[in-house]
Amino acid sequence: MINCEYLKPVDLQEALKFASQFADRARFAAGCTNILPDIHTGKLRDCVLIDISDLKELKGINREDDFISLGSATTVTELLNSEIIRNEAPVLWEAASRFADPVVRNRATVGGNLAYGSPASDMSVPLLVLDATVLVQSMEKGIREIPLRNFFVGPGKTVLSPSEVILRIKFEPLSDFKFYYTKFGKRNAMAISIASLAVGIKLGKAIEEARIALGALAPIPLRALRTEEFLTGKPVQTEILEKASEILLSEINPISDIRGSKEYRLELTRALFLRAVNNILSLK
Amino acid sequence: MKNLEMVTIIVNDRPVTAPVEAHESLLDFLRNKAGAVEVKCGCNQGDCGTCTVLFQGKAAKSCLILALQAQGKEVRTIKGFSGDFLMEQLQESFVRNGAIQCGFCTPGMLISSYAFLQATPQPAREEIRNAISGNLCRCTGYKKIIDAVEEVALKRTGKQQDKQTTPSSFSEGQEEAKGNYLLLGGG
Amino acid sequence: MELKVIGKGVPKYDAWGKARGEVIYADDFSMPGMLYGKVFRSSLPRAKILSIDTSKAENLPGVHAVITHKDVPKNNLRARFGQGTEIGAQFEGLYRVLAEGEVRYYGEPVALIAAETPEIAEKACELIEVQYEPLPGVFDPLEAMQPGAPQVGEKENNIASHFKIRKGDVEKGFAQADVIVEGFYQVGYQDHAYLELESGVAWVDDDGTIVIRVSSQVIEHFREVAEVLDLPHSRVRYIGTLIGGGFGGKEDITVESYLALLAWKTRRPVKLTYTRKESLLVHSKRHPYYMYYKTGATKDGKITAVHAKLISDAGSYAALSPWVLLYSTVDAIGPYNVENVKVDAYTVMTNTPITSAFRGFGAPQVNLAYESQMNELAKKLGMNPMELRRKNYLKQGDSLATGYVYDRPVPLDLLAQKAWEALGPKRTSSKPQVKIGRGLAVGMCSYGRLTFLHDTSRSYVRLELDGSALIRCGVPDVGGGQGHILAQIVSEELGVPLNLIKIHVTDSQLTPLAGTTTATRQLYMSGNATLKACRELRQRMFRKAAQMLLTNEEDLEVGEGKVYLKSDPTRYIALVPLINRMSADGDELYVEAQFNAPFSDVPAKEIIEGRTFPDFTFGAYGVEVEVDEETGKVELKRVVAAFDVGRALNPILVEGQIEGGAVQGAGYALMEDMVIKDGIIQTPSLQEYLIPTSMDVPDVESILIESGTGLGPYGAKGIGEPPIVGIAPAILNAIDDAVGVRITSLPVTSEKILMELKASKEGNKAA
Repeated sequence: MINCEYLKPVDLQEALKFASQFADRARFAAGCTNILPDIHTGKLRDCVLIDISDLKELKGINREDDFISLGSATTVTELLNSEIIRNEAPVLWEAASRFADPVVRNRATVGGNLAYGSPASDMSVPLLVLDATVLVQSMEKGIREIPLRNFFVGPGKTVLSPSEVILRIKFEPLSDFKFYYTKFGKRNAMAISIASLAVGIKLGKAIEEARIALGALAPIPLRALRTEEFLTGKPVQTEILEKASEILLSEINPISDIRGSKEYRLELTRALFLRAVNNILSLK
Repeated sequence: MKNLEMVTIIVNDRPVTAPVEAHESLLDFLRNKAGAVEVKCGCNQGDCGTCTVLFQGKAAKSCLILALQAQGKEVRTIKGFSGDFLMEQLQESFVRNGAIQCGFCTPGMLISSYAFLQATPQPAREEIRNAISGNLCRCTGYKKIIDAVEEVALKRTGKQQDKQTTPSSFSEGQEEAKGNYLLLGGG
Repeated sequence: MELKVIGKGVPKYDAWGKARGEVIYADDFSMPGMLYGKVFRSSLPRAKILSIDTSKAENLPGVHAVITHKDVPKNNLRARFGQGTEIGAQFEGLYRVLAEGEVRYYGEPVALIAAETPEIAEKACELIEVQYEPLPGVFDPLEAMQPGAPQVGEKENNIASHFKIRKGDVEKGFAQADVIVEGFYQVGYQDHAYLELESGVAWVDDDGTIVIRVSSQVIEHFREVAEVLDLPHSRVRYIGTLIGGGFGGKEDITVESYLALLAWKTRRPVKLTYTRKESLLVHSKRHPYYMYYKTGATKDGKITAVHAKLISDAGSYAALSPWVLLYSTVDAIGPYNVENVKVDAYTVMTNTPITSAFRGFGAPQVNLAYESQMNELAKKLGMNPMELRRKNYLKQGDSLATGYVYDRPVPLDLLAQKAWEALGPKRTSSKPQVKIGRGLAVGMCSYGRLTFLHDTSRSYVRLELDGSALIRCGVPDVGGGQGHILAQIVSEELGVPLNLIKIHVTDSQLTPLAGTTTATRQLYMSGNATLKACRELRQRMFRKAAQMLLTNEEDLEVGEGKVYLKSDPTRYIALVPLINRMSADGDELYVEAQFNAPFSDVPAKEIIEGRTFPDFTFGAYGVEVEVDEETGKVELKRVVAAFDVGRALNPILVEGQIEGGAVQGAGYALMEDMVIKDGIIQTPSLQEYLIPTSMDVPDVESILIESGTGLGPYGAKGIGEPPIVGIAPAILNAIDDAVGVRITSLPVTSEKILMELKASKEGNKAA
């Protein structure tokens, strides 16, 4: 039997109070694009839903000094409609444009997508490559700043405790990088990724810095740190890129499931990575 | 003992009050409590779009909204557009262009199209195609739906598209091959 | 003769109601005191039922009935879907309402519940206790054919039906061949994935008649439901709703028996609607097929012999599997004239969900095989694929592989040319790793039911005193305008404006029975029945008008609300005074007419010979794809469909069938993947079983040819199913053209292509 309750806090403080009060059963709810299907399939049976979708504290896309800051309850559509995001964070914008479908985008939130912790999380990949930080708060632990790189722990698991809410996500726009994002699914819309990839390269005479984030290819969305390290300072040469792709494949751990086999995902990753890099290098 | 809470939702400009459980969706409320069976249920998981309504003015899948989240808020179903010129144009265009076969996707499809045209009055055809990508249709293959929306868009921006009811040539059709290149992101 | 209404793309009468959200589909309907039904299903693919304990469920407050097989008056029926014709053991199947003694598939219905709310019904399900003894199951037809395989059905042998074609001598034919191509093709399930789920409401009328208001393509099932309840046929009435998508998935009985049983037991209205998960897990699907083909041809491209072996997965209850197999058998070599043909087709039971009707009904599967074979043959011969086909097309006067002489035109060459030419000049790819390819395929698909079923249909037309008209016809409307087109015919024939015509459809007691909305038969059958009724009425009108206008009947015409002289249109009588005069004179202002399809005999042996269908529709597809060699992804860029539709009574409706069928076929080819493991479907949601969104397909370009040679009204052919035949092999041929990879199984996933490309690259390295 389903045992759920619903609470609507008037402000952030009350939200935190509710979450603390109900501890393990607490579940922050905004877009509910994952919560309701989970209730429907029986995955979620016992919870206290704390509706944060209208909290002003969690809305807004701003510039704070060198950073761009998004409220966690920012919807994906709001990202797409934001001049700031479109102009200064095109990799995030691109991922938003491929997210689910236009109707779901009106409700799904950036924070919700991160907190759900899916290995295929669409928002995590661009935000990882932007090296975003997540600002979270709870009554017990106060405010914490967590680099997104350290945020995911396992499939459906993040470092958040049940009473912690994501307040904002912030990142530096990295205007001296060139980015490329791709999402590969079995269908062109409303598709769960088989593989998603974001690559950012700061190019001088050689590769000054490289960032690579992947989704749906490991138990968590991740940065390919060893591959990034390998590429740093290296010249742009075919052999280097081939070697980099080999290292990349060793950093991921795709599974075989109904969407694709492990072998295919490895081949695909290699192809998408090389394509991403070549695309970036041809952008002048 | 069920945990029931009263909720009041403005459905098509009328407040509807009913008890709901916390986990009930807006779709459940609309169909079972508000008598709004024009909002369809095709999957109950957000995968098909037949439950699409306007929620606070934006297209949304009602199976993905908690009824209690809609407390005091406005929901508009396909029956809530009387006198709305844009929707009437869309409905008329759908009817005349053969965009309706079994009709089950139609209410949701119309609402997604309506919301889209409000935001993007002069869309390219590929943008229309993208706008309805969250609404599945199993009958039409989408072409006539996109034709219908495109026609309304062209009419609104002043460029009259004179569409005959009967296509001009049939037997031994000398149709011009229409190229159609999809705008696909990434990959 | 100029037609005034026929040939026009006028909107359907049901379109506005659908646009306004006013149509009450099956699940939208409720009645006071209504209960909610739920099906309790087996959790094993094969097991003996040792005991069923429903006591806890029955005692749950709010539960009004729990039914198991022992409560069903006739739990097992021999399914006969003809109209009284004894169709023989090869075609019959067991229709079992609730599991009895054993379960044969995962999700088989074991019990039924009626409760005051859906939640209580669900809770009651959890309280039913069944003791199973799991048994080894068999999940693949090839395995199930082997001696010693677990027995799925009642026969010891799991082979439910076996059909053959023997024409000429294939050994001689292969000996004459210069080139032989062999291929092994495999296609999986396809789910109808209609957006409206299976649903209905049933109640017992005040005179003890069970009324079932249901989304169904076959309201004649009232007979089976009556037999299940051991009631006279006259005591069960189906009210068919406008259907939210059928495609063959609502052709067999879905919820109706359960509704009838629950309503009968509780004496309350009962609603039952499947969930999407339930629908995907258990409802009938398109047959998976294994197909082995061997095709031989001379170096000039004349095919001398075809040998085909077809094995389909009949699922755990035969349902329409033998019928589908028969279609595949007759269509096995495609629309080609081949002297020597040997076909052996088997449909084999397994412990998997039921496989039954789906648009195309066995034609798409073999079409995939024979049109892939054609291109492979062309390759081996070094011939252009269009040229090779041209050398072998069936022509008017040729006989099919069954020996039946096809006496109508076969414009395949024209269709293929038009489809191909419409693709225009070849495009070059702007990206080095993306290859562009084009593929051609043709198809044949029957319309009208198997002639040995002695198919008939009836329609009633009545003139009103004010010049409007009423039609009553039992035709179920799945959205293709099955009802609407009858109104167009009446408007044309009787001169009544379309907006003055009211049509009642789909009531098994109040409207004349029109037969199934399946087999692309309604325009042909109900259209002709309506036409017949109109012509009879028109004759009466002309007889009276001739008297009133002092002329002879031959000089009369009807249109725009009047009957007038062809030779002098200023002499006329308006419909209203004419009709009123006829009424005053005691003339009957209504006709109920019956139309009979050609009748043949039930195949007496396994070898299929002679006529099986009234007619075929022919079509061709020209398709362009882009294949990404690095990821294997296929983008469908252009789809051109060319069909001989006989006559397009409503071009917009005809195009709608072509565009929709093409996209459904594209989904079948590229993304619809029903993964099944040990008899249990692993993809029971629309997020896992993917059908095309608007972003996955281009605008289908339709080219209609009107040969006027169809058997339907005004020379129309059927167009409901045919568009799904041809597109899949066209896509496979295009992929082969693009990247030199011959995929032989569906769906073509990007993984399959990439792995094939990799393998052939490695193969080339090795060589």
